[in-house]
Amino acid sequence: MRKTIKAAFFGLISMAFVGSAIADITFVSWGGAYTASQQKAYIDTYDKGGSITVENYNGGLGEIKAQVEAGNVTWDVVDVLPDQAITGCDEGLFAKVDQSEFINDLVVPPVSDCVVPQIFWAYTAFYDKAAFPGKKPKNIKDFFDVKKFPGKRGIHTWANALIEMALVADGVKASKVYDVMSTPEGIDRAFAKLDEIKDHVVFWSAGSKPLELVSSGEVVMSLAYNGRIGAAILSEGKNFEYIWDATVLEQEYLVAIKGGNEAEALRFMAHASTAESNAEQAKYIPYGPMRKSSINIIKKGEPWFITDSGNIDIMPHMPTDPKVLKRAVIADPFWWADNGAEVHERFGAWKGS
Amino acid sequence: MNQTVSGPILTSDGIPLKVSLKKAERINKIRAFLLVLPLLAFILITFLIPIGDMLARSIDDRQINTVFPKTFEVYKKWDRQDLPSEEVYKTMFFELKDSEGYSVGKASTRMNYSKSGWKSLLKKSKRKFKKIEEGPYKEKMIATDKRWGDPEYWKALGQMVDPTTMGYYLNAVDLKYDSNKNVVQQKENRRIYNKTWIKTFKVSILVTFFCLLLGYPISYLLATLPMKYSNLLMICVLLPFWTSLLVRTVAWMVMLQQKGVFNNLMVMAGLIADENRWQLMYNQTAVIIVMTQILLPFMVLPLYSVMKTISPTYMRAALNLGASPIHAFYKIYMPNSIPGVSAGCLLVFIIAIGYYITPELVGGKDGQMVGNWIAYHLKTTLNWGLCAALGAILLAVMTVLYWAYNKIVGIENIKLG
Repeated sequence: MRKTIKAAFFGLISMAFVGSAIADITFVSWGGAYTASQQKAYIDTYDKGGSITVENYNGGLGEIKAQVEAGNVTWDVVDVLPDQAITGCDEGLFAKVDQSEFINDLVVPPVSDCVVPQIFWAYTAFYDKAAFPGKKPKNIKDFFDVKKFPGKRGIHTWANALIEMALVADGVKASKVYDVMSTPEGIDRAFAKLDEIKDHVVFWSAGSKPLELVSSGEVVMSLAYNGRIGAAILSEGKNFEYIWDATVLEQEYLVAIKGGNEAEALRFMAHASTAESNAEQAKYIPYGPMRKSSINIIKKGEPWFITDSGNIDIMPHMPTDPKVLKRAVIADPFWWADNGAEVHERFGAWKGS
Repeated sequence: MNQTVSGPILTSDGIPLKVSLKKAERINKIRAFLLVLPLLAFILITFLIPIGDMLARSIDDRQINTVFPKTFEVYKKWDRQDLPSEEVYKTMFFELKDSEGYSVGKASTRMNYSKSGWKSLLKKSKRKFKKIEEGPYKEKMIATDKRWGDPEYWKALGQMVDPTTMGYYLNAVDLKYDSNKNVVQQKENRRIYNKTWIKTFKVSILVTFFCLLLGYPISYLLATLPMKYSNLLMICVLLPFWTSLLVRTVAWMVMLQQKGVFNNLMVMAGLIADENRWQLMYNQTAVIIVMTQILLPFMVLPLYSVMKTISPTYMRAALNLGASPIHAFYKIYMPNSIPGVSAGCLLVFIIAIGYYITPELVGGKDGQMVGNWIAYHLKTTLNWGLCAALGAILLAVMTVLYWAYNKIVGIENIKLG
């Protein structure tokens, strides 16, 4: 009974959007510069199908689940984070896709059978060159070393990536981070390392904040999303420098919603996941393609990034540059699905104590 | 025309008047009901059902009992000491292997709240179990993943035997069930909620107090100044009220950060040294300052509208009769303004206790409130049971406060205008 009421309720709500379903497929992403880059790289170059409507959302599976349960799916292709990709595929919200075209070309294996690759975005440490006239911080150890480089550090208010970085700063190899994190002592070790900078941190939660903190001199270095740092350097001419060490890479995928216009959605996704298309996106935003061959296309095509005053080399801003990848940690969504809540609560206790 | 009336009075079409009147009244009643029906339906759908659903979620624990019913039957016989018997393993094996992917995903999410690791264990095992044809299942399961041989995982299931649970409420106050459903304390480094509760109340009470402290004189001025000045002052109160919450919060960041306006002024005036700038942003102090400013209009407006109705003649009379100004204020003006004070305080406190976005932005290391944890579990861990429990506790606290208020002051004394 409750289910029927729910279905009727969501049905009623989604009825209101029937009008927008006339378009052939609806593509849903996060908005802003990121969606703009997808528009230019994937939608404007797509000539094999009908028209594509673009909508924005704030992540999460809530809306998708409501649409699928009510049997009235108005979204066809959605841009998702890896944990959503896993859960949505498990719960039967996404259509399975044929991954043979790219499966051997990816930096890491796909998180589920329902996804096609988009980009890596990354948590990266950075600083303003003016803040360090003499010796400059080179690696994540320097970020955690307040004696060698005095001054405040900007970090985000949740635990993801911080645990990984703290361990690398404590001497764990980037490739062994999750082995260490899977032991209770490993987490203790990460928190002990975080203790060393605790009295010197400023917390941020909105993505634009770390750039402000560093610009204003409130902190001497900070963690931030690499795309934000890149945009500040490339389009605002900021004098920032990345610390490409223990960069934590997060994955981003496209999925097709079950019960939507699946055939058309899958055709579009095939187009949006070719090596050429993925490379194309990097012309407009400094996020790293997940396909190895896309990187090669970009390298050959440099200067690749398009600005109003001519093209600029983009590889120095790419979190998937092989040189960066060697020292990077690729975030493991499975580990975080298992341990996220527990670690986050502990992180909350650590922050407040 | 000399008909005598015998029996009931009839209307012109022969129906007794009483019946006819009743009918007309009923039609009116139905009409009136139909008029309020949309509102009633609106409240029911948007308010009562969601709250009911939330309360139900906070004790509902069926996600896993319905997926592994047989396992739980045999599980109950286990002594919870060493590892369970082959029978438990075998039942678990088949129930997991034969289940639909959809239900296991949900169950594993629930199991993960009790013991981190269940989620990936079930996911990986389901794939690997397809290759196992026959027993002994215990050894083979442990061979696919050594976590199956860890008694801690099995013990964690003990919390989920019943279809309803108080576990979420326990979690919300840093307690938990052990494997035998005894209530024990949460692991020390996960004890976070009690501190957060105390912090939430502390911040809300302080914000209410400061709002009253600042709001009372402003409202008094507003109510007593001549119209042309009080209008200007009113605009000063309302202008920030109409400004976006985010804009105001960010403006405070600019003001209060270490290299911000306030600290710069203090350094320039020579009151503090350049290297000892005050940390006023990204902590609890920041939350209290910013929330006080944001919630101030909710105090000023009810106070003002009540003070406006206090006739100046009362005070004049008191002074005339020989009371000192302070005594007259204390005896006459203040008691008259109490309905506004209580309305303002209740309003500010209720809004403050569930505040989320300001603590998120300026709270930094120790300014996070209960609302922030609800948001985290709602979006990230999908632990809606815990969200519901935290929300229900907030609701209960508010109800108790309201009840206490009604007992002490009387709700009829509240006045918004």
